[in-house]
Amino acid sequence: MTRPVDVLLAATRFETDEHHPHIVIDPVACRTCPSDRACATSCPAQRYAWDDAADVMSFDHVGCLECGSCRLVCDRLRTGAPGYSWDYPAAGAGVSYRQG
Amino acid sequence: MDEEVFDAIVVGGGFAGLAATYRLAQAGRSVLLVERGATCGSKNLTGGRLYTYALQALLGDDWREAPLQRRVTREIISLLTEQDAVNIDTTLGSAPEESYTVLATPLLEWLAARCEEAGAMVVTATTVEGLLVRDGVVRGVKAGEDELEARVVIDCEGINPLLLERAGLIRPLDPHAVAVGAKYVYRYGSGEEVDRIFGVRPGEGAAVLGMGAVTRGVFGGVFCYSNADSVSLGLVLDSVAWKESGHSLLDTAEALHEHPAIGRYVAGGELVEYGAHLVYEGGYDTLPELSGAGWLVCGDAAGLCLNRGFTIRGMDYAVMSGIAAADAVTGALDAAAGTGPLGAAALSGYRERLEAGLLRDFRATRGAHDWMAATTDLFTVYPQLAVDAMTGLYHVGPEPLTPVASTLWRAARQIKKPVRTARTLLKGVRTL
Ligand SMILES: Cc1cc2nc3c(=O)[nH]c(=O)nc-3n(C[C@H](O)[C@H](O)[C@H](O)COP(=O)(O)OP(=O)(O)OC[C@H]3O[C@@H](n4cnc5c(N)ncnc54)[C@H](O)[C@@H]3O)c2cc1C
Ligand code: SF4
Ligand code: SF4
Repeated sequence: MTRPVDVLLAATRFETDEHHPHIVIDPVACRTCPSDRACATSCPAQRYAWDDAADVMSFDHVGCLECGSCRLVCDRLRTGAPGYSWDYPAAGAGVSYRQG
Repeated sequence: MDEEVFDAIVVGGGFAGLAATYRLAQAGRSVLLVERGATCGSKNLTGGRLYTYALQALLGDDWREAPLQRRVTREIISLLTEQDAVNIDTTLGSAPEESYTVLATPLLEWLAARCEEAGAMVVTATTVEGLLVRDGVVRGVKAGEDELEARVVIDCEGINPLLLERAGLIRPLDPHAVAVGAKYVYRYGSGEEVDRIFGVRPGEGAAVLGMGAVTRGVFGGVFCYSNADSVSLGLVLDSVAWKESGHSLLDTAEALHEHPAIGRYVAGGELVEYGAHLVYEGGYDTLPELSGAGWLVCGDAAGLCLNRGFTIRGMDYAVMSGIAAADAVTGALDAAAGTGPLGAAALSGYRERLEAGLLRDFRATRGAHDWMAATTDLFTVYPQLAVDAMTGLYHVGPEPLTPVASTLWRAARQIKKPVRTARTLLKGVRTL
């Protein structure tokens, strides 16, 4: 009965900085992924999805839980390959837990 | 200029950072804590069981005022197959007051307020972007336009230690030493409902640890804790093994709700939060440098979290390492002449304190992580065996009864290589 991830994320509070993604990938370069597209299966918030029609990786930083999983499973994010970077959102933005 | 140099700047207002800050403020030191979240607690997530000796070490008897959830009096280990479970269930009401369930956000907010009362400066909603390093010595932090200086920086930035990695002060986080955790919190209308779900007396609490088919054969487990009027449910999965398994993390977490032995703890509750965080599960042999010229590292950033399968301990070690860092810094400041940064030698007392303290646990469990990660039978064969044995014992049908001994024998025969299995188990249990 997997619920859509949006239903789950709606329970969590975010102070999103819509305009400045803290994680950057190159959706086209992802065609030659060296990491079995592990971002898509390992992201607990399902921010990554392979778009078959467009043949690109789609990524949405809004709703990212800042866990760091993609930073480790993706070799390009981990090594900071050109077009890929992983940071925390700036100054208070991003996920804002109330329970933790 | 000197009056603008803090004795210490602490990066990160989690358990480690707040413990170090509180301790230094209490010792009369000028200390600034910088936290990137809007409040201390807003970026933090834990499973939810805290061993209270650490709070007592930090706060003395005041720890009783902290916003904890329930005292754990019932431990349940649940061996799970796809549909069934065998539980090892205990009522340990007579046990000393050793551990409580907690929610990280309210507890850390409370600790931050104690730090301010003790005289520390706490700045939130500010991300430290880099360490100020001159001549190989850490002298402070960079945040936005500001460069803030201190005689020592205590790094408590958590499991993704970007600052230390980028400054080249510790080796990059090894994916093999990490697990990923996802967690749900479900609220109920009253505490009585939670009492009923877990079969505990008012105010008392239960900790459930599940292992087996729910992690699809990967080293990991399910946790479920009773809070005051809510329930925390989540799972922790070895990161690399999970990547290799190719399963979807979210689908696996969602499937927990369908498992008869697990889903019942949260059925009927209102989902009030979904979160995720990494868990350190390396061990003694993967520890990074713990200090250097002008800096120390505590808590998850230092890899001070132990995952032994049946418990995860990171919060208590974070607090204890924060205390050890603060005491080492206080000692070094007392001993140092002048007002310059504290050198590597002056701070080496930190490692000594840890070696004599919490690192004993890390030395004692050397190899446990690798053993559990390699022994997938723990998550497949053994739970099935337990279920088969129990099913056999309680099965009654029209056919003639099967004696107990042959039921157990039939279950045990499923183990392919009994001697080797016994040896592997023994070897592993020694590391735990
Ligand atoms: C699913 C799960 C279950 C767990 N279960 C348990 C359990 O039952 N019992 C237990 O004891 N432990 C458990 N742990 C481990 C425990 O939660 C952690 O070990 C502990 O929270 C670590 O505390 P910390 O202070 O080191 O790090 P954190 O709590 O992560 O704090 C780091 C802080 O640094 C801040 N920060 C990071 N970078 C910057 C920057 N550049 N500038 C400013 N601020 C920054 C972050 O916002 C954060 O507040 C669990 C962990 C997980 C994920
Ligand atoms: S793992 Fe990295 S390179 Fe591969 S698809 Fe995902 S983001 Fe792109
Ligand atoms: S940090 Fe975690 S939640 Fe955010 S995109 Fe990466 S894997 Fe997903």
